[in-house]
Order: sequence, then structure tokens, then C-alpha cells
Amino acid sequence: MRSAAAAAADGAGRDEFPSGFCANFALMKVLIIEDNQELARNIRDFLGREGYICESCETLEGAREKLNLFRYDCILLDIGLPDGSGIGLLQLIRTEFKDSNVLIISAKNALDDKIIGLEKGADDYITKPFHLAELHARIRAVYRRKNLGGTNIVAFNEISLNTDTFEARVRENLLETTPKEFDLLLYFIVNKNRVLSRQAIAAHLWGDYTDNLANFDFVYQHVKNLRRKISNAGGTDYISTVYGLGYKFNSHQGA
Amino acid sequence: MKLTTKFTLWYLAIMLVVLLIGGYIVYYEIQDKISSVEVARHQRLNDLIAEQIRSGRDYSNHPTRKRATVARIPADSVPKGVSSYYTRGIDWNPEFQANEYRLMVTSFYPINGKYYRITTYSFIPSFYQLVPGVVNSFKWILLLLLVLVIVSAGLIPKYILAPFQRTLKVIQSFDVKQQSAMRLAETRTSEFRELNVFLQKMTEKAREDYQSLKEFTENASHELQTPTAIIRGKLDLLMESEIRDEQAVLIAETQNALERLSRIHASLTLLTKLENQEYAVTSPVCISALARTALNSFEELIQMKSLRLDTRIEEKVYVSLHPALADLLLTNLISNAIRHNADPSGGSAGWISVVLTNGGLVIGNSGREPQVPVMELFQRFKKGDPGGDSIGIGLAIVRQICDLSHFTVGYQYTTGMHVVAVAWTARMTASNLLQNSSLPLREQLQP
Repeated sequence: MRSAAAAAADGAGRDEFPSGFCANFALMKVLIIEDNQELARNIRDFLGREGYICESCETLEGAREKLNLFRYDCILLDIGLPDGSGIGLLQLIRTEFKDSNVLIISAKNALDDKIIGLEKGADDYITKPFHLAELHARIRAVYRRKNLGGTNIVAFNEISLNTDTFEARVRENLLETTPKEFDLLLYFIVNKNRVLSRQAIAAHLWGDYTDNLANFDFVYQHVKNLRRKISNAGGTDYISTVYGLGYKFNSHQGA
Repeated sequence: MKLTTKFTLWYLAIMLVVLLIGGYIVYYEIQDKISSVEVARHQRLNDLIAEQIRSGRDYSNHPTRKRATVARIPADSVPKGVSSYYTRGIDWNPEFQANEYRLMVTSFYPINGKYYRITTYSFIPSFYQLVPGVVNSFKWILLLLLVLVIVSAGLIPKYILAPFQRTLKVIQSFDVKQQSAMRLAETRTSEFRELNVFLQKMTEKAREDYQSLKEFTENASHELQTPTAIIRGKLDLLMESEIRDEQAVLIAETQNALERLSRIHASLTLLTKLENQEYAVTSPVCISALARTALNSFEELIQMKSLRLDTRIEEKVYVSLHPALADLLLTNLISNAIRHNADPSGGSAGWISVVLTNGGLVIGNSGREPQVPVMELFQRFKKGDPGGDSIGIGLAIVRQICDLSHFTVGYQYTTGMHVVAVAWTARMTASNLLQNSSLPLREQLQP
């Protein structure tokens, strides 16, 4: 059932085959505009392991210079910069560099910032403190929406996810996933070969606000159900438990 | 008791005392005046009689002698230093055949070397007869004063105390969170002016203190986000390095604590934002639709905990609330109902009931008895189960949202059943809802 076109489009699951198909993400250029160097380094380290090309700068001025010299696929923009608000830069990016995705990083989590940011053309908004895996998932989601020309298939080996219809398949078999399970599987595949903590998964599935520390039980339940459903559909159980920490989607296992 | 009533009562008491004393004074004054006028008249008469004697003619049948006694007395019986004295008392009045009050003036005159004592008298009204008159007139005065005081007690405060009332109204509506300074009306009364100046200063100080505290909290909150984000990122990266199991446990525990920290922080920031009224209501939101969405998103959790869900959601219930807050309210209440539900291992199946009407929202669930009084659970960091994983701020957020939107919220626990009610309108309070809802819920409890 899987066409060559779909396989070409996904790229996501094919890191182990360094072919031209995976160039989409591996060569993604990311500009991190963040005044805190430690945080910028975290992001650089994390995304670097995905094979992204990351550059960072700390000021609006530096960001303008970089933007004039290079083209970036994704721009991570901190709102509160030492020489001004990132919102101003957002307008510049939107008029001059239409193709770049912009993801706002803010410490404020103020509703206004969010609305203004999204109105001025940011593609998404993430609030500190975030999990790096979450940031990565957001970058990929934004990129998928804009750059793959409507082919919203994320695939890994025999598993494919359609992010438009929320259908998950193992080869031809449709997986009866709940929305949360679908979300979880997508999160796993995007962040494959990474240890995902229960906290990161809970935050991804349920957001920040609810007082939901006890949701770790639910994380466990969801992961358990998901693994069972994939196995029942004849898929490989890529997901493993990492002692004490959480879970990991292993691309090198089985297959 | 009202200030004016107090003033009036005091004023009346003082008035009564003053009038009583005044009555006595008036009585004695009149008595004294009558006596002195009578005495003067009789002295003039005595002088006249003395002139008559001095002239040597016979005046014995003259009208002046009608009540006069003239006697020649020896020189040595003339009192020294006194030419005249008067006495008064009750005596027999033969003309009226009655005992009457008599005033008698006795004067001494040396006439042509001889000494005469001339005594004249007259009957005057008894002073006791004056008493009713005095009392009567004071009664009228008192009555008049009473009427005036009562009328003025009703009217004058309206004018005199008007600035005070205005000030009172302004300070009652004062809120440290308000953006602009408190505006007090001008007044010419110096006390009220002083009061206003003081209040103005005090409220301004309170407002400034609150503002700076708020700014501090906000700044601290923003500044905390970045380090937390860094720690979280470092842990994410550390997790991916080669680590031993015991190190994994250490990382996991650090992550748990960090998670807690960031949740507390996010919730407190949210509460601050609620207090700052950052979520202004633009138009009423259809809470029925939101409730359905929220329940859908929790469907899986409800199934996982094998809870029975009963819903009765009225169509098209609109409340004036920011959509984000409406969502937060529902999410917090429903997730609470799920999380603090009966332990499935305990044998009895848990249940949740969600009833949404035009009057309000009632969410009930089975659960263990809380260890603190239920209304205290609305306080920050109060938890029904101290050992639990929650940070105990969900209901505080619910309450804050309700306070802001002028909803009332109530919590009731009765034998294994928790009910939280939120009433949208002031007419139907949360306690009404709790009372109305407890019966059907109890039936649900025992199917």
C-alpha cells in the first residue's frame, strides 16, 4: 500500500538509511535567537543530534545579521531579548523570509504574547520551561504543516501516521488508536532513539495547566495499550522501557 | 446604631437635663422678680405714707392706709443699719376668706425727731402656683425641640455627612489591585478633609505596595522560567548519555522535583494572571460545547480507571467567561473528579456525574473521605490527601476563576461522595445547587 511517493515524503523514519529522502529534516537549518546561552546550547545539542544545522545568536541585532546572510528553515525566537522584543523581528521575518517557520519561545506565557505572536505570523508558541523533545516535536509539526505540501504522512518502517486524518497504520492494518495514543505514537516516532521521560510525555499529552502529576499512571497505561495494539497489528514493538526514566522508541531494534 | 441616631439620643438626653435645670432657674427667677417688684412697690408706698405723716395732715382714711400699719416706736428699738425689711409667708386673707401668700414690707422713718415703723402688705400669687405654668411652658419647649431635633436628625446628616458617605462608598469599592488611584470627592469639612487625605495616602501606599509585590512576583516568575528550562534541558540531554541504573533513578527523582517546581510555578503564575484580570470577557461562551469537549478529552482516562460517567448537559448554556478560563475550570474539576476518585482496588466501582444547567455546574464523584474540611480544599496547597502526587492548587484556580466571574462555588462531602457545585448566577447559589443535587446523586451512588 505504501507508495514510493509517500516513502519519499516521510523521510522521518529513514535515518538509518542515509539517502536523499531524509534530507528534509537532516539538513534543516535552525536559527536559535535566545539570549540565554545555556538554553541555546541545550537546544543546539539536542537538535544537533537529529542532524539539524543549528546556529544561535543572542540579540535582535545579531539575528538581523544572520537572517541577511543565510536562509533558515526554522527560527526559534525568544520574545524577551536584551535589545528589544522579538515581536518586532517577527514582522521582518514574515515580510522578508516567508518560507521560514517561526516558533516563539517565551518565559511569559502571557495570553497576549501568544495571541500577538500568532497573529503576527509565528507558527507556534512554546513556553519555558519546555522539554527539548517537545520543542523538537513542535518544530517537526510546524515544518510538516508548511513544507511537505499537504502530504501529512509520518512514517517509520512499517508504521505510518497520517496527521490529517489521525489514522495510524501498521503496513495495511489500521490501528484502532485513541487520539491520545495517536499523539503519543507520533511523539515517539518524531523523537525516536531518545529517552522520553514520563514528565515529557505527560506534558505533551495533557498540557501544562492541569494539576496532573498523577498522570504518570495514565502515561504508563497509554504506552502499554499502544504497544499492545502495535504488536497485535503485527508491528514490531519498538518501544522499550528505560529503567527509572521513561520510554524509548528504538529504531535499531528488531525490524 | 447609626451615628445620627447616637448623636440625636445624646442630644436629647443633654436637652432634657438642661431643660430641667432651666426650669428650676426660671422658677426661681420669676419668684425673685415678683418679690423684688412687690417689695419696691411697698417701699414706695411706705415712703408715701411717711411723707403724709411728715406733712402733719390727717390721712387716716386715705386709700394708702388700707393695708398699712403705722406705729410710733422708741428710738432704741429702731434696728441699726437697716431702714427696711420684708417678710413673706402664708397668712389669712379676710377679703378672700382664704389662706394666701402674703408679702409684708416694714420700713422705719425718723420724722420730726420721732421714730415711726410703717408696715404695708399685700397678697401675691403663691410661687407654688407658678410651677404648673413653668412646667407647661417647658413642656412645649421640649416638644418643639424634640420635633426639630428629630427632623434635623433626618435631614442634616444628609448634608453634613454627605462627604463622609461619599468617601465611604469610594473606599468600599477600593481594591488594591485597581489600576488608577482612588478619587475622593472634595469637602469643606476639615475633619473629612483630613480623613480623605489620610485615606488617599494609605490606599495609595497599599496600591503601590501591591504593585511592587506583583511586579516582583512577575519578574521572579519570568526569571525562574529560564533556569528551570535549562535544568530540564540538561536532564533531557543527560538521560541520553550512557548512564547506570542508579544514576537513572537520580535523574528521575530530579525530574520529578523539577516537574513539581515548574507546575507550582505555572499555577502560581496563572493565579497571578487571574488576579491581574488578564482574561477579560469579550462575549459569553457556550459552556455546554466546552464541557462536551473536555469530557471527550478525558474519556480515555475515565475508561482507564473504569469509572462510570453520568452526564446531563443542557444545550446552549452561555456564561460570561473567557473561553480559556471556562476550559480551565472544566478541566480542573473533571480531572480532580477522576484523580481523587474511589480506588478501583477498593472493590466499589467509582463514578463521576456531570450536570450542567442554566443554573450552574455540578460535578460529583465517589471518593474517600478527605482529611481536611472540604471548603479548605479551595485554599492554595491544601490537599485532601497529603501523600498524593498533586500540588493542591487546582481548586484554588477554580475558586479564583469563580471569584473573578462572580460565580459561587461550593464543595460537599457526604459518605463516599464528593460534590463540587459552581453557580453561574447570584440568584442560585452553589449551596442551593448542592442541596438540589444531592438527592439524585445519592441515588446514583446506590444503583
